[in-house]
Amino acid sequence: MPSSLLGSVPVPPSAFDGVTEALAVLVLLVVFAMLREALLRSQVRLYAFQSLAVSALAAMLGASQHAGELYALAALSFVLKVVVVPAVVLRLLAEAEVDLAGSHRFGVATAFLVGVIVSVVGFLAIGDMHFGPLAGHGLPVPALGAATATVLVSFVLVMFRADVVSQAVGFFSMENGVSVASLVVAARMPLILEVGFLFDLLVAVVAFGVLMRAHHRRAASLSTETLDQLRG
Amino acid sequence: MQLAPAAVQALQVLTVLVFAPFVSGAIAHVEARLQGRRGPRSLQPYYDIAKLFSKETLAPEGASWVFLAAPVVAFTSFLIVPLLIPVLTDFPLPLGYMGDIMGGGLILALGGFAVALAAADTGDPYAQLGSSRAMTFGALIEPSVLFVVFAVALITTTDLPYAMAAVDRSSLAQAIRPAHLFAAVAFFLVVLSDTGRIPVETHASTLELGMIDEARGFEHSGPALALLKWGSAIKQFVLYVILADVFSAPWGLAGSRCVGPVLLAVPVLLAKALGVGTIFAVIDNSFSKLRLYKITEFMASAFALSAVAVLVLYLGGG
Repeated sequence: MPSSLLGSVPVPPSAFDGVTEALAVLVLLVVFAMLREALLRSQVRLYAFQSLAVSALAAMLGASQHAGELYALAALSFVLKVVVVPAVVLRLLAEAEVDLAGSHRFGVATAFLVGVIVSVVGFLAIGDMHFGPLAGHGLPVPALGAATATVLVSFVLVMFRADVVSQAVGFFSMENGVSVASLVVAARMPLILEVGFLFDLLVAVVAFGVLMRAHHRRAASLSTETLDQLRG
Repeated sequence: MQLAPAAVQALQVLTVLVFAPFVSGAIAHVEARLQGRRGPRSLQPYYDIAKLFSKETLAPEGASWVFLAAPVVAFTSFLIVPLLIPVLTDFPLPLGYMGDIMGGGLILALGGFAVALAAADTGDPYAQLGSSRAMTFGALIEPSVLFVVFAVALITTTDLPYAMAAVDRSSLAQAIRPAHLFAAVAFFLVVLSDTGRIPVETHASTLELGMIDEARGFEHSGPALALLKWGSAIKQFVLYVILADVFSAPWGLAGSRCVGPVLLAVPVLLAKALGVGTIFAVIDNSFSKLRLYKITEFMASAFALSAVAVLVLYLGGG
C-alpha cells in the first residue's frame, strides 16, 4: 500500500521555498535558452523574461517578509530590466539592420554540455558551504546554487558567442544571477545599494550601446570576429 | 466484490492492449480538427489493424528469421511494461516488483531494438537509414532518461514507479518541489522524442528524408505490420500512462481491488491519456520539425533539465 511505499522519503521544501527555488532555477534555464537561441531579438526577449522572473522573486520575498523596500526593488527592476533595457537594446538592433542571427562559435549541443558542467561546478561549490544563521532570512539557500550557476553559464554565453549583442545579453544575465544571489544572502540590504547595482546596469547598457554602434559603423556587422584584424 | 490481484494485473495489460489504438486514433482525429480537416474516425486504427491481419506476410529476399520475429518480440515487450507501472491501481500488484523504472525502460528499449534489427536485416536502404537513426537518437536521449531516473530515486529513495506516484500524491509540497517539476518536464521531452513527435519527427509524414522511427517498418507487411502498428500505439499509450500516472497526475487510480473503483479507473485513464495526447497534438501543430542535425539541441535541452533536477536535489533543497 502507498504508506509502506513511502519509507523514508526526504522532506520536501515548503511550498514557498519550492516555488522560489523553481523560479531561481528558471532564471538559470533561461540562460540555457539564450545559449540555444540564434535570433538576437529573441535573445533580448529571453533576457526580459529572465528579469521578469527575478522581479517576481523579489516581490514574492517582499510579500513573505512584509518588506516594503523589496517591493520597491521589484518594481524598479521590473521597470528597468523588463521594459527599459530590452527596449533600448531592441531599438539599437533595429537601427543596425544587419545580422538577424548571432554566430555560434561551437555547436549548440557542445555549449549546452559545457553549460551543464559549469553549472554542476556552481551547484557543488555552494553545496559545500554552510549557512547556519543566514537560513530563513532571504530566499532558500539552494537558490544561491542556481544563482552561481547562472553567473557561470552567462560567462559561457559571453565566451561562446562572437557578436556584440549576445555578449551584452550574457553580461546582463550575469547581473540577474547576482541579483538572485543578493536576494538569498542579503535580502534586506539597503535599497540605496540595490539602486547602485541597477545604476551600474544602466551604465553597462550605455557602454554596450556605444560599443554596438561604434562597432557597427566601423565593421558594418555586429560580429566580433573582425576585431582581431589589423587595419591599415 | 474484490478482484483477485492476478485479475487486476491482467486487466491492466488488457486495458492497454485494447485501448491503445483508440488513443492514437482519437489523437489523430484531434490533430486533424486542429488543422481544419475532418480527419479519420477515432476507431480507424482498429480497421487498419483488422485489414492488415487478413493479408499475407511477405518477407524481402534474404531476410532471416530475425525479420519475422521482430514484430512479435516488440509487441510482447511493449505489453510487459504495463505490469510494472501504475495503470489502474495506486498500489503495486504482485508482478509490479518484477522490475523497477529502469527495468521498464530496458524492456521498452528491447522492443525498439528488435524492430531496428529487423530493419537492418532487410537490405532496404530506407529501413536501414531509419534503424540507424533511431538507434543514434535513442542513445542521445538516454542520458536524460538516466538523470530522470536518478531524480526519481533521490526523491523517493526507491526506483519503483508506484513509489514516485505515491510521493506525488502525498502532499502538494512534494508535487511542486522543483526537482519533481524539472524531472517531469525532462520526461515530457523524452516522451516527445520517443513517440516520434514534432520537434524530432513528423509522425504522419510520408517523406522518407525526415523519417526516424517510421522508416523502420517499410518492409513489413500483413500481420507483421499490424503487430508493428499496434505495438507502436501500445508504446505511445504506455509512455502517456507513465507521464500522467507517475509524473504529473497520479490521481483517479483505484485504491482497492474492488470492481467499482478498478473499472472506474479505466475511463479516467483514457481521459488522462487523451489529455496528454491533445497537448502533444497542439505541440505538433504549433512547432516545426527540427532539422536532423539540430535534434541534438533538443536532446541537450532535455539533458540540461534533468541534470538540473538532480543538482537541485543534491543541494538539499529541491
